[in-house]
Order: sequence, then structure tokens, then C-alpha cells
Amino acid sequence: MRVEFWGQEFKINIVLGCLGGFFIAVVSSMFGFGGGPFMVPLMTVGLGLPMYVVIGSSLLAIFFNTLMGTIRHYQFGNFDMIFFLIMFPAAIVGGFIAPQIAKRVSPIVVKRIAAIGLILLALNLLGVY
Amino acid sequence: MKRLWLSMIIALTATLFMIYQNGVFAEKTKTRAAKEEKNSEAEQKLNAKPAEVVTAPTIQIDKTSLNNGGTITVTGTAPAGKPVYVEIWTDRKVRTSFFDSKRDKESGKIPYILYMTNEMPAHYVIYTPKEQKGNIERIKEKGKNWSYSKALKDTGADIAYSVPAKIKIDRYQATLWKSIIGSRGSLLPQMDEKGNKKRSMQLIKARFRNPDKVLVPTVEVSTDGTYTARVTIEKGSSPGAYYITAVADKNIRSQHVTIENNINFPNIYLSNAGTSLNFLGPFILTLVIAIFGVLMGAGGGFIMNPLLVSLWPLPHTIVAGTVMPTVLFSQASGIYNYSKIKFINWRLGIGIGLAMVAGGFIGPKLTELITLDQFKFVFGWILPILAALMFWQTTPGYIKKNKKEQSILKEFKKRAEEAAKIKAQEGKRL
Repeated sequence: MRVEFWGQEFKINIVLGCLGGFFIAVVSSMFGFGGGPFMVPLMTVGLGLPMYVVIGSSLLAIFFNTLMGTIRHYQFGNFDMIFFLIMFPAAIVGGFIAPQIAKRVSPIVVKRIAAIGLILLALNLLGVY
Repeated sequence: MKRLWLSMIIALTATLFMIYQNGVFAEKTKTRAAKEEKNSEAEQKLNAKPAEVVTAPTIQIDKTSLNNGGTITVTGTAPAGKPVYVEIWTDRKVRTSFFDSKRDKESGKIPYILYMTNEMPAHYVIYTPKEQKGNIERIKEKGKNWSYSKALKDTGADIAYSVPAKIKIDRYQATLWKSIIGSRGSLLPQMDEKGNKKRSMQLIKARFRNPDKVLVPTVEVSTDGTYTARVTIEKGSSPGAYYITAVADKNIRSQHVTIENNINFPNIYLSNAGTSLNFLGPFILTLVIAIFGVLMGAGGGFIMNPLLVSLWPLPHTIVAGTVMPTVLFSQASGIYNYSKIKFINWRLGIGIGLAMVAGGFIGPKLTELITLDQFKFVFGWILPILAALMFWQTTPGYIKKNKKEQSILKEFKKRAEEAAKIKAQEGKRL
């Protein structure tokens, strides 16, 4: 498939993109996370697109998945309205506070700390400690 | 700034709604308690007859209401020489499911049947005589592979097991094809009483997870038949009426006594999850994770889900199904912002998006088929991959490439803004 972006043209393997997207969607909707961190590498490394093409379009693709996943979870009754009303405002407020903090911290430091934190959480989940 | 206020208003409305809901819950429990009194009177009449044959145990409690859990002392007299078990349950019901994918020993086939009930009591415990402590410890040593039905037999508590045995259980025959098209499977006919009882025990395990959540050895029985038991309703249990009954043998049980558990704001009962919690906990957690998620450029769902199931006794199905919609709004606003500066290739996004719709259709069904432990296990493996991706983004090669692309991005943004300006000027001229 040809992808046009601001006058530039890229050729991509849409089959690989769809297969990868499908797999990421199954796993992410099953476990209830967004899937963005996996979609971006898929589209940059897997499809060879530059970052600036990927950010907007990957968000659009993920939105489809989140919308469908939400509807299905709701259908199966795996949704708690009050719980949602607790988390939703917090997520929105967090989204407005974050850019204020982002100006003051280095993204590299945040990502390195996050990586360590994620490993620790993973070890805890696997029952290592 | 306007948006900040808007979000504040949304937050405030949600909080008010929760307080309102809380009030409604409290009223409901009152009417239910009143109804229950009538019921117990009727039951007393029914129980009067067998009581003539063997004396049923008597039962008293030292409190009639609790505030977000607490300990009650249950006392009474049972026929001398018999062990006494105390059964406690609540009429608050939650949904529980259990997927049977273990190979059947007799037929050698894997059944692939999903058992599901909407009538699991939100709280259910059998208190056993103190002497059973050793037995319960032994069951705990088995770890995750313990069996509730075997535990009941080992501790003798099977004579007390009554309420969950009668819950209505639906079973669905799952097949690979049915899973692909996103269906739970075909509904199988109702089970007989015995089958229902057996499956209800597996559902109890699926709901309460640990042996010490459902079997507690605190009943002290004296030689003359008097007994005392310390019954604890933990913080975070469901609000409403709890029923307690003493059992000395099969069909020799006392009438039940009722105790009311009140939950007050900021504690809120999540009716689908069957747990009440202080709403500030998840609120602050979400706030922190949301901020952190934006800073590290990855969705907070990865961290939210495992933390929520670890910190609170919430079912993973509810957690996955409720965390997902919270990001819908931010995603939509992100798409809107990118589309304004023409930063979305619609063909690419929709093309891959359609494949993801299909995936999103299947995924939520699979959540029901796994246990909480499997849920945690998978996150245990996904998170290191995510950590590796995070780390990769801090390596010099990636940063260099990123800087180059960021400058191109800025250039495009500038062009987009200029294009918008020209358009606006043209609009004025016309």
C-alpha cells in the first residue's frame, strides 16, 4: 500500500501491519490496556515509517480497538460504572497536569526510571518476590 | 485553562453522582432488612417441626450493625458433643465465572465449558471449629491448586455448605470457532442439584481465591455444647445484610440472625466488582499513573491493570473492562488535535484500525476464560517487553533519529499553521 504524507510517499506492507495490529488488538483488549507502545514500534520498525507519520495514524488505529473493546466489555457485563466514574476524572485531570510537569523533567530520565519500575512490578507479578 | 475547568466540572459531577448513588444504596439495604425480618418469621414456622426431633443450635450475636466491617462474637448452644460450624453470607450478589479447561480424568477429554453465575454472594465464609486449624494450614500449603470441595470434606465443613449450592449457574460450551466470532458458546441445559453444588464450589474458589478467605477456624465448642465464634467481616466487604447461621450437622442448623454492614462515604461499593473501597485510593492511583503515562509516552493501562488487581480484591474482568474506556476520551481528543494539523493518514489509520476492530471484538471474551493468576502472569511477561522498549527509546541511536524526526515534525507543524493562516485570509477576502 502507498501512504502519502505531506507530499512524501512511503510503500508499506499492509498485510504485516494488519496482522500485527490484529494480534496487538486481541491482547490489548483482553488485558485492558491501550497498545500504543507496541503499535508505534510495529509501524516504525515493522513497516519502516518515520515517527512523524506514525504518531497520529497509530492513535487512530488504536482508537478503533479501544472503542470496540469497550463495547464488548460492556456487553459481557465486565464494566463497573462507579469504578469508571472514580478513574475517569482522575485520568482527565492527570492529562492536564502532566504537560506542566513534562516541561521540567527530562524524558530520558523518566523512561529509564519507568523501565526499572516496570521490571520490579513484573517480578512482583511473577511471584519472584 | 478553559479545559482545566471543564475537567474539574466533570470530576465534581462524577463525585456528586457517587455520593448520590451511595445514598440510594443505603436506602435499599434498609428495606431489604425489613423484608428479611418477615422472611425469618416464616422460616421459624417451617423450622419448628424438625426442631422437635433434634434440638437445633441456638444463636445470638453481640451486635446488630457494623461500620465498614468489624468483628462480631457469635454465641449459642448446640447439641453436646457435636462440632459447630458457622455459615455467613450476604444477599449482595456478584457475577463470577470459571472456565473449565482441565482434562477430565475419566473421559480424557478437555471440556472447555464456561460456568457463570450472577448470584454468587459477595461475602461467604464458613467458620470451622478451632481444631481444624491444622487441616486448613495443610490446604494452604497446596498453593494455587487447592480444591474447595476437598477442603470442605477435610474440615467437615461440607455439612454447613448450603447457600451457594443453590445459586443459578449457566454453562456455555465454548469452541474455538465460537471464540473467534466472539460468542460465549452455546448455552447448555441446567445441571441437576448435585452438579450445581459441585460447580458452585469451583465458582467459590474462582471468586474468593484463597482458602483462608472462605474457611476460618475460630469456633470454640465446650463439652456442654455451648459455642463461641469470632466472626470478622473485613473492611471492603459489601454493604447490606449479612446472615449468620450455626450448623451442628446436616439439616441441624439454627435460624439465621441478621447483621447490617454500613458503608459510608468515602467508601463506595462497586456492585459489579463486589468490593467496597475508599474511592480516594483508585482516584489518586489513576491520577499518578495518568501523569506518569504521559511523561513516559506510554499508556497507563499497562501499569494500572496489574496494580489494581494487586492492591484491591477486584476481579480482573471488571478491571480490564473498566480501565479501557477511561482512555477513550483522551484518544479521541488526540485524534482531533492531530487531524486539525492534518497529521493523520486516514487510509493507513483506518486500514490497520479495521484489523484492530476485529481483534478488539475477540479479546474481551477471552478475558473471562483466564484466571486472575494467569492475568497477572501475562502482565509479568508483557511489562519487561515494555521496559525494554522504554529503555530502547533512551539509547543514543534512537535519540539521534528521534531528534531528526522531531525537527521534521516541527517543520511540518509550521507549514500546517501557515497553510491554515492563508486559508483564513482567503476566507476573509471572499
